[in-house]
Amino acid sequence: MNKKFTSRQKSEFIWGWLFILPTMLGLFILNIYPMIDTIKQSFYKTGDFGKGNKFVGLANYQKVLGDSEIWQTLWNTAKYAIVEVPLSLVIALLLAVLLNKKLKGRDVFRTIFFLPMVVAPAAIAMVWKWLYNSNFGLINNVFHIKVNWISDPNIAIYSIAAIGIWSVIGYSMVLFLAGLQEVPSDYYEAASLDGANGWQQLINITIPLISPTIFFVLVTRIIGAMQVFDLIYMMIDLNNPAWKKTQSLVFLFYKYSFEQSKKGYGATVIVVLLAVILVLTVIQLIGQKKWVHYE
Amino acid sequence: MKKKALAILLTAVTVVSMMGCGSSSPATTEEAPATTQEASAANEEAPADTTEDEAEPESIGSSVEGELSITIWDEGQRPGLQEIVDDWSAQSGVKATIQVVDWNNYWTLLEAGATGGELPDVFWMHSNVAQKYMENDQLLDLTDKIAASDKIDMANYYEGIVKLYQSNGKQYAVPKDIDTIALWYNKTIFDEMGVPYPDDTWTWADFAENAKKLTNDEHWGYAIAPGNNQEGYYNTIYSYGGYVISDDKKTSGMDDPKTIEAVKLFTDMIAEGSCPDLATVSETAPNELLQADKVAMSINGSWMLAGYRDNEYTSQNCDVAVLPYTNSPDDRVSIYNGLGWAAAANTKNPDAAWSLIEYLGSKEAQIKQAELGVTMSAYIGTSDAWVNSVPAFDLNGHMKMLDAKLVFRPYSRDTTTWEDMMIEKLQDAWTGEKPVDEVCKDIAAEMNADLAEE
Repeated sequence: MNKKFTSRQKSEFIWGWLFILPTMLGLFILNIYPMIDTIKQSFYKTGDFGKGNKFVGLANYQKVLGDSEIWQTLWNTAKYAIVEVPLSLVIALLLAVLLNKKLKGRDVFRTIFFLPMVVAPAAIAMVWKWLYNSNFGLINNVFHIKVNWISDPNIAIYSIAAIGIWSVIGYSMVLFLAGLQEVPSDYYEAASLDGANGWQQLINITIPLISPTIFFVLVTRIIGAMQVFDLIYMMIDLNNPAWKKTQSLVFLFYKYSFEQSKKGYGATVIVVLLAVILVLTVIQLIGQKKWVHYE
Repeated sequence: MKKKALAILLTAVTVVSMMGCGSSSPATTEEAPATTQEASAANEEAPADTTEDEAEPESIGSSVEGELSITIWDEGQRPGLQEIVDDWSAQSGVKATIQVVDWNNYWTLLEAGATGGELPDVFWMHSNVAQKYMENDQLLDLTDKIAASDKIDMANYYEGIVKLYQSNGKQYAVPKDIDTIALWYNKTIFDEMGVPYPDDTWTWADFAENAKKLTNDEHWGYAIAPGNNQEGYYNTIYSYGGYVISDDKKTSGMDDPKTIEAVKLFTDMIAEGSCPDLATVSETAPNELLQADKVAMSINGSWMLAGYRDNEYTSQNCDVAVLPYTNSPDDRVSIYNGLGWAAAANTKNPDAAWSLIEYLGSKEAQIKQAELGVTMSAYIGTSDAWVNSVPAFDLNGHMKMLDAKLVFRPYSRDTTTWEDMMIEKLQDAWTGEKPVDEVCKDIAAEMNADLAEE
């Protein structure tokens, strides 16, 4: 075996690993190890301060499956994702196509749409809380309506999803813009010579050609949406009648792990989320064969 | 083909790393907001000390490695506390610096410190978690040191706070401060509606009656959210003769007829319209409504003082009075809580840590704490100077509540579990979706189950 490697290959091998070592270390210590530890914890009834953990087998999982609260939060999370992901994707794509053209002030617009990504989530929540306030908020007062945007259990999760869309389109847009740079302009020239209008060009040229980017954004957005936490945590508190209908799975994990110190059960909740995300992602990886075109 | 492989690889890596984050990120995101309960728990203010002159002859400075670390969660208290600590340093020859970590991160840090054996030397303890820390031997046992001390005698402090920091007959912290609940009101609205200001003759019935008179299209008489327990219905429950949890912490008193009656006082006010509905208070907290000229009265703890003092509107238009009573002034109740000074069980400098705690709990330091207007002190009879600390308000409202029937904030080992459940379920009583007695009985049943599990 060893004889097959030249000394050059050997040194490349060593240096290659050396260069990725810092990243690998970070990944292992900060991501992989906590992940494994979390999965391990989900089989335990955890004691205080990491002492006295008791192995309980699948008891936590049995409890999760029989807990109506978990199913409600899973449904809440799904509702959030169903609204946030497609809308943010479509809006970001349209914006990217628009801002890819030679417009006046293009850079200004690009910056404006990207800004929400840069703002601290706490500040976003403060401002939106004020906009949504049913008595004193800007939205209700400007339009002279009385809608309980964030305290009506039926619509609160969608109000929060709207903030989610607003904050994420900038980021998705930048990814799409990068994808659009790779599309050769002669395709469009040929298409317009053949009489294709803007819409037809978008459907038949742009989307197929940047489908790998769309796929990437879709997969990461679904994962991100399933993990929604900070917006809900900052907008909704225990006093809110919409509390039960807006809790997300990560929120529930936070509640059990950090507020009630039931780390084992919290870990179980998050492993359930992990499983859900895995399944969704595998489905997408299989489904991509039908619509994602790689050159 | 190469591109495809790359894209899939990229996707896979992202998926994996994002999942990894799923388990760890909430810990870092948690800092920002304060939930009602956290706000009500973060009720303490800073002690300032006294000039203690009985300089101890035997300096402990030489036996101490490095500095003592002190950790607290309230920046507002730091300057006053540092002053007291500096007085102590001058005597003992040990340097000590205070580090402030906000409420949420404080508990994350403390828990991580306890797990890893790296707690600060001296820090604040709170009723929410005290039992857990004491049972797991994380706190330095102070029992013998207190017995040997001529400055600290547990009989000098409010009983509930002393008991809170006891476990298995041992004392783990020295009381630092005490809070009381009082009735804050907007003088301007009272004048406008021609209602006399609240005083010590008000009963809870008068309170409800006047709230009605103070309500019009512009503002409400009073506001309360389901999360306002210590700053709300807990006071009436005990004033009416009901209870939240039995003395042995085994049974819930939420199904007691008097408890139900006390909660009903508020839900009736909501139904009549003299209190805003649940949607309103869930979006704008009662104390914010007071600051916005939207309610005439709000029941608040003394820890809100700094907020009201620094708010331009409330400092000019509001004042504070004692809480109403039920049948006679004897049943005027204030639900109180208090922090304790604790030390880490494995501190490298137990003698220095104890010396500091002993100083902070001493009569002189407790008087100075009140003088600086940071908090009322846990040492009985040392808070008089606190009354004059904010000229804008007549703080006798809070001060005189110390003479009322003081009931310690109901707690058990896992208080948050049943308290959160209670707040969630009370929402149905607030909206009127379910009758109050049904909701309260439901809470009692679930709370009993929770308590049985502890």
